[in-house]
Amino acid sequence: MFWASWRLQRTETLIAAGILALIAALLVPTGLNMASAYHHDGLSACLGQNPSDACDQAVHGFAARFDGLKNLLAWLTLVPGVIGVLFAAPFILELENGTTRLAWTQSITRRRWITNKLAIIVAAALVAAVVMTLLMAWWHAPLVRLDGRMENSIYDAEGVVPIGYTLFALGLALAVGVVWRRTVPAVIVGFVGYFAVRIFFDTWLRQRIVSPVTATWLDQPSPGARGAGPNLDHAWVISQGPSDKLGHALSLTASPCVRSLGSHSQAVSGDCLAQHGGGYMHAVYEPASRFWTLQGVETGIFAGAALAMILFAAWWTHQRAA
Amino acid sequence: MTEHAAVEAVGLGKRYGSKWALRDCSLEIPSGSVTALVGPNGAGKTTLLQLAVGLSRPSAGSVSVLGHSPLTDARSLLPRVGFVAQEHPLYRGFTVSDTLKLGRKLNPSWDEGVALARIEHLGLPLGQKVGQLSGGQQAQIALTLALAKRPEVLLLDEPVASLDPLARREFLQSVMEAVAETGMTVILSSHIVADLERVCDHLVILSQARTQLVGPIDEIVASHRLLTGPRTDPASVERVHDVIRESHTERQTTLLVRANGHVYDSNWQLHEVDLEEIVLAYLGYGGPNGTGRASSREAVA
Repeated sequence: MFWASWRLQRTETLIAAGILALIAALLVPTGLNMASAYHHDGLSACLGQNPSDACDQAVHGFAARFDGLKNLLAWLTLVPGVIGVLFAAPFILELENGTTRLAWTQSITRRRWITNKLAIIVAAALVAAVVMTLLMAWWHAPLVRLDGRMENSIYDAEGVVPIGYTLFALGLALAVGVVWRRTVPAVIVGFVGYFAVRIFFDTWLRQRIVSPVTATWLDQPSPGARGAGPNLDHAWVISQGPSDKLGHALSLTASPCVRSLGSHSQAVSGDCLAQHGGGYMHAVYEPASRFWTLQGVETGIFAGAALAMILFAAWWTHQRAA
Repeated sequence: MTEHAAVEAVGLGKRYGSKWALRDCSLEIPSGSVTALVGPNGAGKTTLLQLAVGLSRPSAGSVSVLGHSPLTDARSLLPRVGFVAQEHPLYRGFTVSDTLKLGRKLNPSWDEGVALARIEHLGLPLGQKVGQLSGGQQAQIALTLALAKRPEVLLLDEPVASLDPLARREFLQSVMEAVAETGMTVILSSHIVADLERVCDHLVILSQARTQLVGPIDEIVASHRLLTGPRTDPASVERVHDVIRESHTERQTTLLVRANGHVYDSNWQLHEVDLEEIVLAYLGYGGPNGTGRASSREAVA
């Protein structure tokens, strides 16, 4: 049975391996380049508490050089979805082509066939997801050391969430596919659904599943002082801005303390703000220390939904399909 | 062989939505027989075979194969039953040799010798992709998978429907050779009667989701007669015999009857009928001026 299941998803496995090889071909040279630039610029020395101006410059230069690439590679967050729906395909294809009538009339029971096939599909998807995650983590390493890994574009490819994403896309395509029995539409629905749920998570739900920290502090506008505020280094700052003492946001445009300097810049008088009850900063953020909590909760949600959909697909196939 | 009938159905029915694909089917197919399951498309032949092999679940009644339920005893029953589904599905991307390997891996009772001998006899290259073979060759591969399992019961769903006459003959020849060697029970469905008469010794006629006739072919042929006589009301004949089909011209009445004993009425001329005509009569094709009665009949079993 193992041989049969493996042989029946060989094409998909090869496609997945090809996709991963392509990504590696893209990531390895650029990653090596970035890592060597990181060392060459001596950026690791700049990670201390009080970086010099030269350091600031070096960091900015580095960021400017690799930001474009980083944003481009953020699209790779679609890859877990591709891998997921890809491995769902061989299962749906059997229902579509009616080859289940062949498989289920050999000497193994339908239950065993379904269990075995799904187990191998899930295992293959997991391996691909882990390889993908390791590649991305290696590539991101210099960026993570500078900026942390809480920002969406990096967070999505780090830790364990890509595994949850992959399983979710797999489960969604399977659940749709066993009912619809059409591989191509099921794969498309699975991928589009995956993308929609991801957008929903990235833009709305993630900042709500674990309540973010809110902080209000007296802003010290004097140059050089690093402020009395919370450590927002490497944190995921959801919102940040001037506020009054209670943390109510102040509208800068309506404030009398703002003086326009041309069309794009403004000067804010701190003393003035203080007199008007302002002079405070307010931030809503997830501190860097919550990385694994957020990852755990999010992975749990995606993997849980995936498990439910895979079990549904197994049940439906066992009960309904002939 | 065994004391159980090869296939036994009691009040078996399958409903899809509100439509019955098979209804009130009760029949017993003896071990060692070669049974033709005949009926037009949509009569319930596929449904009956799929119920027998456990691919679908009865909505009413029950079916047993070799005394076992195909659903609850699947694990012990499946190795003893060979099945070739309609259109003989195969993995088209597999080579012939992959396909045999699949059979070997999925069937503990697999007989590699039988499989290889058949493939060699058919002259099929082991490295060839199954999807590139002709329909007849694919059907033979599907049959090989089923036969190498060494089944006691072989179920074939429309095995020759999509084949050309030569491939059809070769396929049925293969089935007959296997039967001669092993004495297995075979049930094969078809809507082409002519092919089956040479091969089968039992007949099940299905029409409109119901069984119309079940029995050994020689008994069926022996008991059916064509009566011709001057135009008359067939009521007197109907009192004794089952009139399957009546047709009238201006001066003559023709009846196809299932005779209960001899027909003694000298008004009628008796003729033998061949199997095909009997089947057609039960399926409701009444000939040029005929009125088929079979469609309104209850099962005659």
